[in-house]
Amino acid sequence: MIIGRYYIDQKSVVPKIVIGAVIALLALVPLFTTSMVTLSTLISSGIWSIAVMGFILILRTGQFSMGQAAFMAIGGYVSAILTVRLGLPYWPSFLAAGVISGIIALGIGLIVLRAGGTSFSIITIAFGEIVRIVALNWDDVTRGASGILTKPPAPITIGNFEINFATNLVPFYYFMFFLVIASALFFWQIDRSRVGGTFRSVAANPVLAEHLGIHLMKYRVIAFTMAGVFTGFAGAYYVTFISVINPLIFDLWKSVQIMMMSIVGGPTLIVGGAIVGSTVLYSLGNYLTQLPVANVQYLVFGAVVVLVLLFLPKGTGLVDLWGKFWRKVFKEPEEYEIPGEFSQEDEE
Amino acid sequence: MPPAGIWIDGLVQSCIYMTMAFGMVLVFSILGILNWTHGQFYMLGAFVVYYAVTAAGVPFPLSLLISGVIVGALGMVVEKLVIERLTGPGYGLLAVTAATMALIFFFEGAAGMAFGLMAKGMATTLPGVLDMGSFSISYQKIAVIIFTLVIMVAMYIVLNRTKVGKAIRATAQQPDAASLYGVNVGWVSLIVMGIGCSLAAMAGGIMGPVQSVDPFMGRIPMIMSLLAIVIGGLGSLTGAIVGGIILGLLNSVIAYKISYFSEVALFLLVIVILLIRPQGLFGAAPK
Repeated sequence: MIIGRYYIDQKSVVPKIVIGAVIALLALVPLFTTSMVTLSTLISSGIWSIAVMGFILILRTGQFSMGQAAFMAIGGYVSAILTVRLGLPYWPSFLAAGVISGIIALGIGLIVLRAGGTSFSIITIAFGEIVRIVALNWDDVTRGASGILTKPPAPITIGNFEINFATNLVPFYYFMFFLVIASALFFWQIDRSRVGGTFRSVAANPVLAEHLGIHLMKYRVIAFTMAGVFTGFAGAYYVTFISVINPLIFDLWKSVQIMMMSIVGGPTLIVGGAIVGSTVLYSLGNYLTQLPVANVQYLVFGAVVVLVLLFLPKGTGLVDLWGKFWRKVFKEPEEYEIPGEFSQEDEE
Repeated sequence: MPPAGIWIDGLVQSCIYMTMAFGMVLVFSILGILNWTHGQFYMLGAFVVYYAVTAAGVPFPLSLLISGVIVGALGMVVEKLVIERLTGPGYGLLAVTAATMALIFFFEGAAGMAFGLMAKGMATTLPGVLDMGSFSISYQKIAVIIFTLVIMVAMYIVLNRTKVGKAIRATAQQPDAASLYGVNVGWVSLIVMGIGCSLAAMAGGIMGPVQSVDPFMGRIPMIMSLLAIVIGGLGSLTGAIVGGIILGLLNSVIAYKISYFSEVALFLLVIVILLIRPQGLFGAAPK
């Protein structure tokens, strides 16, 4: 991981049984409470966490994408246009949203990832702004600033049991749960596989990686496309959940928010960091917007991120705080220091 | 040809982008980071000028200087408290980038809470227009252009004729060698951050009468000056000036021709420039 010197072996930090217990507890949440506020906060946090996982996967290759919200917008618009304006059923349009978002990510990535580093970040900002402006002005397709009202998926009937998305939030919650678990498994497997290791080597030392026969562009584009597909899914599901899409929902500041969630959660852990970061920041933001003080959520968001960066060691985020607690209470640390020549700061 | 008013608007925008981009490049060349909070110092500068002029009755030129000093000091505080602590060994670029981006939200939230979300006008400062026959220029816009010229000349003198400027240029070229020759690099970073932020603040202040003052006014100038320094070449002061002129003029002149999609054209231009020359128009070739 490029931001810190310390690489923590996550297998030793939190045992599987604790993770399993947390997952089971989350799966049972709708049994304890059907309160709108709790469920919708959890649903939105879950959806954002998928986008954050995509961001962290791109970060693994050393690139800093500032246009992830644009892929959510593309996914959202594709699903909204297919269901509302062309009258297709929801689930095929949901799949189409991810696929089209992935294809666009592939195309953009092939052109844009040639310029790495800061240029790449700037280009992704420009790309996000282009998507927003096109959505705002292409009235015939996107209905401009007024946006498109989306419909919930049609009820699914299994025997005499009906899953109705229109009447309550529990089906939304369970599909979000399924989506997050599926993406988490995917990203976790990718991250620990050989491909994930290659991503890290591309980030840690591009020159050395290239000399070892790793095609840099290929792996950057793979990461960018995978992130694009899942971010598209997240966008398509998010607009269905909040039942509207317009150009203001996914602007540049949402991309910044995705980045902030990954920092607060901790980008060393692709799944845990994303979920912790998005849940903490989204719930916090949701709580703060209910306060009578205008704009306080911006202030607190900024302050939280800066404080996490300043006071948690080497920017490892909240998951590492949990890991530290766990190691202190239950287990001795197994912490590896990355050898100096592999971290970027020591190149000079 | 677009009418003269369009060109003048473009020139005014170019001036602001140039001033902001200049400060950002200065910070980049010494600290090696992009200061994403630059637009928020612009916004804070505009607020300081607004309250100095309307509430305290300070004359406009003096209030510009006051905002430069106050916001420059704030920039130094940010450098000392946040940036310096996140650029030590063991940190990559991500931490400090994320921190300065988070400060965007922090300052916008703080400004929104302190000054309210309503846009504030100060159009009564510097009223009147200069009639040029076929077109006219308001004194506010003339003030922006003169201010930019003054700033550029002053910065030229500071960088090329003074000891501080020499230290800054030496540090930008080779920090280790500079510190061997007795330049306090930490101190230079602090000075440069102060200069960059006060430039942004004064740019915000001088733009206050032309547009309205609100907590989110810094976002577009920030993105535009960022694009300006990237197409001009990171670390190149000439590049910052040329990039600012290109973006400011294109922004208004293209908008006159093809209204809506002018911004798309602008961003596409940036993408194309970066793809053809990733180091920017005036940047050094990659080693």
